[in-house]
This record gives sequence, C-alpha cells and structure tokens, in this order.
Amino acid sequence: MNGVQSPGGRTARRLLLGVVACLAALSLAACGVQVPSDPDGTLDRVGGGELRVGAVEEPGLVETEGPSPEGPLPELVRGFADTIDARVTWRVGSEETLVTALEDGELDLVIGGFTDQTPWIERAGLTRGYRDIEHAGGRSLVLLVPMGENAFLSALERYLDEEVGG
Amino acid sequence: MTRPSSAQFGRTDLPETQRIALKKAIRWELFTIVYTSITITVVAFVVGGSQAMRTAWIEDMLSLLPQLAFLTAVIFVRRRPTVKHPYGLHRAMGVGHLVAGIALLAVGLNLAVEAVTGLIAAEHPTIGTVQLFGQTIWLGWLMIAVMVIVVVGPVFIYGPAKAKLAPVLHNKLLYADADMAKADWQTNAASIVGVLGIGLGIWWLDGAAALFISIGIVWDGVRNTKGAVIDLMDQRARSYDDKQPHPLAGEITRYLRGLPWVLDAGVRLRDEGQVFHVEAFVVPRRVKVRTETLSAASEGIARLDWKVQDVVVVPVEQLPSEADRALGD
Repeated sequence: MNGVQSPGGRTARRLLLGVVACLAALSLAACGVQVPSDPDGTLDRVGGGELRVGAVEEPGLVETEGPSPEGPLPELVRGFADTIDARVTWRVGSEETLVTALEDGELDLVIGGFTDQTPWIERAGLTRGYRDIEHAGGRSLVLLVPMGENAFLSALERYLDEEVGG
Repeated sequence: MTRPSSAQFGRTDLPETQRIALKKAIRWELFTIVYTSITITVVAFVVGGSQAMRTAWIEDMLSLLPQLAFLTAVIFVRRRPTVKHPYGLHRAMGVGHLVAGIALLAVGLNLAVEAVTGLIAAEHPTIGTVQLFGQTIWLGWLMIAVMVIVVVGPVFIYGPAKAKLAPVLHNKLLYADADMAKADWQTNAASIVGVLGIGLGIWWLDGAAALFISIGIVWDGVRNTKGAVIDLMDQRARSYDDKQPHPLAGEITRYLRGLPWVLDAGVRLRDEGQVFHVEAFVVPRRVKVRTETLSAASEGIARLDWKVQDVVVVPVEQLPSEADRALGD
C-alpha cells in the first residue's frame, strides 16, 4: 500500500507548489500589472485618444441618416467614450465590411442590431447581452470588439452594466 | 471433486476481501460520476472564450468514460460461464477499457489539432466580465477559482481511494481510471496558467495550455488503448500496473513442481480482466496419471489465489516451448 500512497503524497506536494505559483501570479497581478490586459493595447490607445466605431444601420437602434449616427446604441458609445476621455470617429457600412475592419485593427468597436446569437462570434469579441437597451425589443443586444482585447471589453461591459443593467 | 464443477470455470463469486473492495469500487465510481457531473455543470458556466478551459471541460466529460465502462463491465463479469460463453464474460472489462482508450485518443487528437490551429491562426481568446452579486468582475478570476476548487475531488478524494482498490481487485481499468484522476491537477493547473496568460495579455499561453492538456489526453488514450489491446491479445499476465509479469505464474509452477508425481511444469496464464485463466502443463513422472490426481492439482492451484479459478491441468510428454516455466523471475 505504501507504493500506492507515496505518489499521492507527491501529487499533494506538487499541487501545493502549483497553488503557491498561482498565488504568486495573483499577487503579481494585484500589484501593478493590469488584469485583464489587451494584447494589442486597445484601451490604452483609445483612452484620451480616438475611439473608432463602426455603425450598421438598424431601425430604432442605430440611425445613420444624419452627419453622425443617432439612436440608443450611438448614445451609449458616446457615453462610454466620455468615461475614458475618447473622441469618437464613425464609419458606417455593412456588417461584413465593418467586422473585417475590426479584425484588421481599423476599428475598435462595431455596433448594430447584433444579439448574443450572432454568427460573428467567430471573428469578433462580444460583450455580454443587454436586454434593457431602448428599442431592443426583447433582444439581448451585444457590441462587437476586437478579439482578445479583454481590458477594453471589460471596461466597456462595466460601463454598460452601470448604464443599462446586467 | 469437492467443489461444484461450475467453480472450475471462470469463477464469478469473489472472496470476502474482494467482494468488499468491489462494492467500494462501485460506490466510488458512482460518487465520481456524480462529482464529475457537478464539475461539468459548474465549469459550463465559466468556460468562456478560453481554449484551455474548453479543453479541460471536454476532458472532464471524457473522464466519465472509464467509470461508465467499469460499471457496465461489472454487470457482465458476474455472469456465470455457459455453453455459449464458456470463458464467462470477464473480457467485458477489457472491452470497456479499449473503448475508453480509443475515445480518449480520438478526442484528444481532435483537441490538439484545434489548439494548434488556434495558435497558428493567432486567435486571441476573448474573456469579458460577469455580474456577480451586483459586482462586475473579470470572468477569468471565476474560472481560476472554479478550477482550483474542482481539483480537490480527483486528486485528494476519489483518485487515491480507487488507486488503493485497484490492486486488491487486480483491475487494470480501475487502476488506469485512478491514475488519470490523480494526474488531473495538471489539467487544472494548465488551464489556470492559460487563463492567467489571457489576463496578462499573453494570448498564446491559452493555446499552449490547451495543447498541453490535449497532449495529456492523447497520452492517456495511447496508454489505455495499448494496455487494453495487449491484454485482449492474451499477453502473459502482468501485475495490475503492467510493471512486471504476474508473480502467480511462478507460484503455480512452484506448487506443481512440489507435487510428488510431477517432474516439471509450466503455465499459460492469461488475464481476463479481473481473473486469470490458467492452463497448466505438467510432465508426470510415470506414464499413467489418474484423473483424480489432475483434479486435485487443479483445485490446489485454485486455492492459491482467488483470481485463478478457471484452471485446466494438462499432462504432457514435453513442456510446450511457449509455456511460462517461471524460471529466473
């Protein structure tokens, strides 16, 4: 039975090491390093700079007739931009064009009638779904962000949580 | 003959120690299934965009296979041998082992390919926030917490428990199952590293962790498939951990050589999953051997160990060259 138990003890020691390593990583994260952070630095670049937003026409949510898009979603974007001192520049287009621009790093955010069931999940990061946006009509709406820009995504979701609930 | 003839072929009832061990093993397997089902459900809520988490999650689902195989096989190995199944249904354990091994192999390879293509395509895993009790927190922290908590079961509770029962029952499926459970911490540690990598903006760490986990699954698959196949191919019986030839071969030949009428002896011992089938070849000193003597020898062997109840003793002029004479073991 000893032969069976001693590997168990080794495992326990290894696990303890793992936990220690994790705690070390966590404390490292706590002091100084930002978690989550953006591999491509979107939040740092946008903060105090330019927030490049793509808008897809969606009746009631995004109206692109005027000089700059109007509606509940553009309003939310402007509000978010204010919290990080960003200036919003708009680009209007079709979903595919804008998602491709998002992938290529030409845009930081894409809005439109996207829900949490959107097939663009393959090519863009999604915020959580928000049902309480005006004119959502029962849909769980999401905004599209560049994939993996998790600090930017988290900052956006924090703002949306405050404005339109979870 | 003192024993009923049915006891000679493929014993299906177990001695007290083994009966208790089997009962415990069944209970632990059921406990594992319940525990793992809860784990799978909890992880489903936090799996998010991390490939490492997804891989660990699928591994959790796969880890149910050995338990299901064991519990299914246990139903069959209890059945008595019949004319249709003269060796009993002990092989069910090996078949279950093989199926579990192949499934691990196939899914493991699939996950490894997924991890590699994700790394090549430089897919940046996206993990956002969740709202928990009115607070917005990063989902990654929740993933790490869940992975730390769920590792307790396999590593500290049921892994070691099953590892203790496997040698008692000489059950390789149970042993492999326990072995995988005890190694589960590597999976959880890797997925934590992957998630922390995402948190620190090191996106490729997630894919690398996923690859590490899937290679572990592939390795489990290879080991189990190999072990199951060579047992089904009737290799010489080995110990429950496959580390050495089973000592019973030596014990049986020594017992036979110790009989006054036996000149030399050798055995052919095969592992049926939980019990052995024994063909013992003896070279008698005289030309004539009474059948009662052979029966007595076969019962004598059966008394050596609970695993060897299906025994045939064959008098031969010369030992077959492939018979295990247990010399030098």
